[in-house]
Amino acid sequence: MPDVFTNIALQHYLIVGALMFAIGMIGFMCRRNLIVMFLCSELMLQGVAINFIAFGAFWGKLSGQAFVIFILAIAAAEAALALAIIVLLFRQKHTVDSQAFRELRG
Amino acid sequence: MNFVIEHSYLIPLLPLLGALAAGLLGAKVLKHNSHWPIWIGVGASALMAIVLLVGMLTEHHEPGRMMYFMSHWFDWIVAGDEKTGIFNAAAGAFIDPLTAVMLAVVCGIGFLITVFSKGYMHGESGYFRFFAYLGLFISAMTILVMGDNLIMLYLGWEGVGLCSYLLIGYYYEKPAAREAAKKAFIVNRIGDFGFALGILLTFYCFGTVSFFGTGPGSNTGFLEKALHGIANPGTEVYVFWIPFCLMLGAFGKSAQFPLSVWLPDAMEGPTPVSALIHAATMVTAGVYMIVRLGTLFVGNSNAMITIAVIGAFTAIWAATIALRQSDLKKVFAYSTVSQLGFMFVGVAVLAPVAAVFHLITHAFFKALLFLSSGVVMHATGGELDMCKMSGLKRRLPKTRILMLIGCLALSGFPLLSGFWSKDEIVHAAGGKSLVLGAVMLFTSLLTAYYTFRLYFRVFEGPEKIPGGDHHHGLSQGDSESHGPAAQAHHNPEPLSMMLPLAILAIGAVFAGVINLPFAAGVREHALGHFLQQSPSFAMAARVATAKYGTLTDTDKLGLGQEPTSHVVEVAPLVIGGGAALIGIALAFVLHLQNRAKADELAGRFGSVTRVLDAKYWVDEIYQALIVEPARALGRLFWWFDRVIVGGASFMIGVIPQIGGAALKFSTQRGYLQGYAVSMLACLVLILLWMFM
Repeated sequence: MPDVFTNIALQHYLIVGALMFAIGMIGFMCRRNLIVMFLCSELMLQGVAINFIAFGAFWGKLSGQAFVIFILAIAAAEAALALAIIVLLFRQKHTVDSQAFRELRG
Repeated sequence: MNFVIEHSYLIPLLPLLGALAAGLLGAKVLKHNSHWPIWIGVGASALMAIVLLVGMLTEHHEPGRMMYFMSHWFDWIVAGDEKTGIFNAAAGAFIDPLTAVMLAVVCGIGFLITVFSKGYMHGESGYFRFFAYLGLFISAMTILVMGDNLIMLYLGWEGVGLCSYLLIGYYYEKPAAREAAKKAFIVNRIGDFGFALGILLTFYCFGTVSFFGTGPGSNTGFLEKALHGIANPGTEVYVFWIPFCLMLGAFGKSAQFPLSVWLPDAMEGPTPVSALIHAATMVTAGVYMIVRLGTLFVGNSNAMITIAVIGAFTAIWAATIALRQSDLKKVFAYSTVSQLGFMFVGVAVLAPVAAVFHLITHAFFKALLFLSSGVVMHATGGELDMCKMSGLKRRLPKTRILMLIGCLALSGFPLLSGFWSKDEIVHAAGGKSLVLGAVMLFTSLLTAYYTFRLYFRVFEGPEKIPGGDHHHGLSQGDSESHGPAAQAHHNPEPLSMMLPLAILAIGAVFAGVINLPFAAGVREHALGHFLQQSPSFAMAARVATAKYGTLTDTDKLGLGQEPTSHVVEVAPLVIGGGAALIGIALAFVLHLQNRAKADELAGRFGSVTRVLDAKYWVDEIYQALIVEPARALGRLFWWFDRVIVGGASFMIGVIPQIGGAALKFSTQRGYLQGYAVSMLACLVLILLWMFM
């Protein structure tokens, strides 16, 4: 394997993680499509997960990886719930625009 | 060859890149040219695999020396410290004769099938999807056979399982295909649970998952530790159970009883998939795994007996079901299950060479048979029921010859490839136990009979061609039809489909020459001699010698060592060939000369026929014993969730509601983005407060 694939330092992972988190955050605040907003929140989660993994590998500890397994499991459960909610919302109004559900404020 | 070993990572990488290209660009850019990236990627891998095989075959060999090359790609999973033990699964290849042979089979036959698929899948919607999955499959399968540790093997193992699932469900609009895909996936989960358990146990007992560590002789891999009996203190008792766990994985993937129920249903996938995944390559992964880890298995006679019993039972059980199937692909599916049983018996009676030999020849002729039945499907508009067709030889003259070659090879007709390989297994089985040998021999007879029942029914006799519209995966006029393809079907035997079949047919006839049963001295270049240089085989042979004393000549044939006898044993060859000829003759009488007689016989033995037609009710037993209890449990949980958990959460919800009502009209505006921004603002404030 060429060197560039093998010599990846901690900060590279951190940069990727930070970028993913930032992209997710900006997307969540700027987009109004519920599915896209949901994807953005996933992106933020995975950005955090990359940080965990990177620090775990950097310190040679398993706890970072263990945490990510929890994140993955919870993200999977959350995806199932969120998508089901979106489907139900869509059935109500035939749109997934977040503004359309303002009356949910109760 | 040195280039291939140095850049061995290209073998899985190229098909993967091809799959990415086809998958990402296929829908919008490549469209009906989506096969090109796969052709190029798989073709290049096939070229590399063949260069590697030829290079290793021509390498100078000193007796007693093991031949292997290790190629480290990158560090993959490293964890733990000195105290707890270091878990190190590197991504890397271990290339020995066994890997070279498997790679040549996987990439070579894979390439032929991708070529065939272009003509076969022409005009299907999702054409690019098919080729992307195919590339992904080849990539995963090469990782499976190249990996130098259990985790790599498992990665490839799950990868091929995923592709199998995706490709069985290729016609996902058809309910049966969806069900079959799920069934394959779930049944394989049962097996893979055992496999995962085996991997964990292996690490627990030996402290490593690497086959050979830093190389054979270094005592760092678990196979060598098993050979020398070096297990972690206090774990010796678990070593016994490792083969049983791994075996479960092998039985799931290779469709052995009782985990065999998914393979016949998997025929819902497109026919090239049946040929590649469910006949030639993926289903043989279990056999490969046991051969690769032979050192763990051979010394454990309980495990070997279990494999032999399950293999032999599956072989004869599936063969009897195949006797009454009328769907072409189902016959071949049960035949595959049966032939895989042969391979497991081969492994279990200390004849791994015979098992690998049969794996190779089977890959050729079974791929040929499946693809030929694909041509039949193409010509008859998706019809596969042999009761509805007859005498297709005038419509499909070339296919008839190819199918005949495949059938002869499968039934073990003398001098064709299947004859040599099957005979070696029957011979080795007979050497261990006469009952086992007799069962295998009788299964060979049944094999010849059901194979030629199909051939005589479909290609010979009075002509009867079913009409119907032109689609193959969806036989009963489902939503998916392909208009432009209908014109392409005018010539039912286009060159692009016939050429790969012809190459496979040549393999089906001549693949036997790689391991002819000649006596000592002449086997210099035979497969057994080549495989003997594989560390896996050499170590298994040492375990066998230590465990069972001096090896007999059949054992030596099986384990790839030089037999001491200079006489070719003719008797087993004559008996094996005789069984095939009797089976063919029976089929000739009952299914060509006098078809009414066959039906009359079936009627006379009505109860037997009913049992076979119902496939021994295995699916029904599964339904009653596993599916229904699981469903009842699910309903119980559903009730618990709804009443207990739901009730509790309702109560929890009521209390904050009162508090919430107070805040409701002050802060709730209903703008999701607004909430997000206020959350962010508060977070920033908290952080500022903390760090200032």
